[in-house]
Amino acid sequence: MVLTPDFASRPVITFQHVHKTYSTGTEALRDVNLEVPEGDFLFLVGPSGAGKSTLVRLLIREEKPTKGKIFVDGVELGRMKRRRLPHYRRKIGLVFQDFKLLPNLTVYENIAFALRVLGRADHEIKSKVAEALDTVSLYGKDSSYPANLSGGEQQRVAIARALVHAPRFIIADEPTGNLDPATAWEIMQLFLRINARGATVVMATHNREIVDLLRRRVVAIDAGQVARDDRSGRYHDDFAKSEVRAQ
Amino acid sequence: MILRNLKFALSSAWHSFSRNLAVSLAAVVSITLILILAGVNLLVGHALSQVLDGFRDKVSEISINVSDDTPLQSVSDFQAQLGADPRVVSVHFMTKDEALKAFTSDPQNAILTQQIEGNPLDAKLDVRVRNLNDVAAIDRMARGWSGVDPTDPTNYQGDFVNRMLQLSQWLELAGAGLLIVLLIVSVVIVMNTIRTAVYHRRKEIEVMKLVGATEWFVRGPFVIEGVMTGLIAASIALALVVIGYEPVVVRFKSDIGFIPLSYDPAFISSLARDLLLAGALLGALGSYIGVRRYVRI
Repeated sequence: MVLTPDFASRPVITFQHVHKTYSTGTEALRDVNLEVPEGDFLFLVGPSGAGKSTLVRLLIREEKPTKGKIFVDGVELGRMKRRRLPHYRRKIGLVFQDFKLLPNLTVYENIAFALRVLGRADHEIKSKVAEALDTVSLYGKDSSYPANLSGGEQQRVAIARALVHAPRFIIADEPTGNLDPATAWEIMQLFLRINARGATVVMATHNREIVDLLRRRVVAIDAGQVARDDRSGRYHDDFAKSEVRAQ
Repeated sequence: MILRNLKFALSSAWHSFSRNLAVSLAAVVSITLILILAGVNLLVGHALSQVLDGFRDKVSEISINVSDDTPLQSVSDFQAQLGADPRVVSVHFMTKDEALKAFTSDPQNAILTQQIEGNPLDAKLDVRVRNLNDVAAIDRMARGWSGVDPTDPTNYQGDFVNRMLQLSQWLELAGAGLLIVLLIVSVVIVMNTIRTAVYHRRKEIEVMKLVGATEWFVRGPFVIEGVMTGLIAASIALALVVIGYEPVVVRFKSDIGFIPLSYDPAFISSLARDLLLAGALLGALGSYIGVRRYVRI
């Protein structure tokens, strides 16, 4: 089943004339405008240094915009108080290229960690972790350490950790960057399944094959600006006029 | 949920402490040494204040020697005048006979007693003064009295009293200054230990932040680790100071007998309270400053 995002409804993520200039003077984003409806699956593409990672960092409020506004779920991130930040981040599941697993914790403990910091009870942690492991199809590896897993398995653990607390948004930064094509494809299937369950997915990627195969919404960033926003796009703008424009 | 978070913080703090054992132990040893110094400082301060209290008691009493030919009426008038003075606590008249009796009954004067013929001692007015600073004024008053023995008017030691008082004030100040410096050094040590712990656990902290841990959930284990470090150090320091206290006092007494240093077991409980409290507070403060600087969500 594929959930079709409702582009007519109020967007859950909105970028309004967002600029980001770092203290070094680097202008990472310039006048970015973007709307993401609930349940959307959006690829952020573009060359290295284009501003994709900055956009992700702004979304998880690791950075604040220099100018402009970002709304997520009706809340303006730039004005959000620091003490509200943890509650905001609990709505998000994050997946990174380098997995960010804790090497001294087992697979089970790594996934449980996301629930422990939320103060959940042991019995709840146990059932949720089992559920998450089932979702990512990782069986019999509960007590393995990350070092003993393949790249694909590690990314599955990271995804399980990202979704174990049932977030509304999944934000992934190059999640298949360290994986071979077959494993990358398996991981993508997982993201599609999570999206089908209702989570809004924003994924920065360089994986041309996957973007071209899935034909989901593609937002191309170039030199800090939105160069293209295709509702059913490809990695490269091979066709000067894409079939459907999101805006 | 609070209990679960506390359990997590405690186990996390213990793991961090044992994982960075070398750094943790270095901090414990440094703070132990500092707290030993602080403990010794407190003990010396306590002993000194006991010595000075005894000394104050002695020097706040002044004996006015009465000349043999002074009429009793004059003595009684002067005694009444002193008794009415607000600076004076009490005045006691000691006759020549009482003075001789007191002198001979002191075993230290046994040899001298055998050589005494008659009663060479003066009658005395023993005056207890309320405030040490007023002893000099009472001394001046006594020396101005017609009935005083002009060859040996009073037992007032003059400047010596003021110098001892000044010295004691300086010693108290120096002790407090040293204590403050030691405490600041401990806070800095804990801060750096926590900084190292934060560095070792930066990945874990990053993940905690990303999955929505609150600032205090991330900081809590570090503060507990700091308190743990402080308390372990305080316990070791306390044990060593308590073990060393009595033998050192005994040794000191036998070497420098004229300073009436005493072993006061009752002081140990207040020392234990002070050291443990200081250890816990130093640990908490050092780690709190440390995590405030290095752990931000």
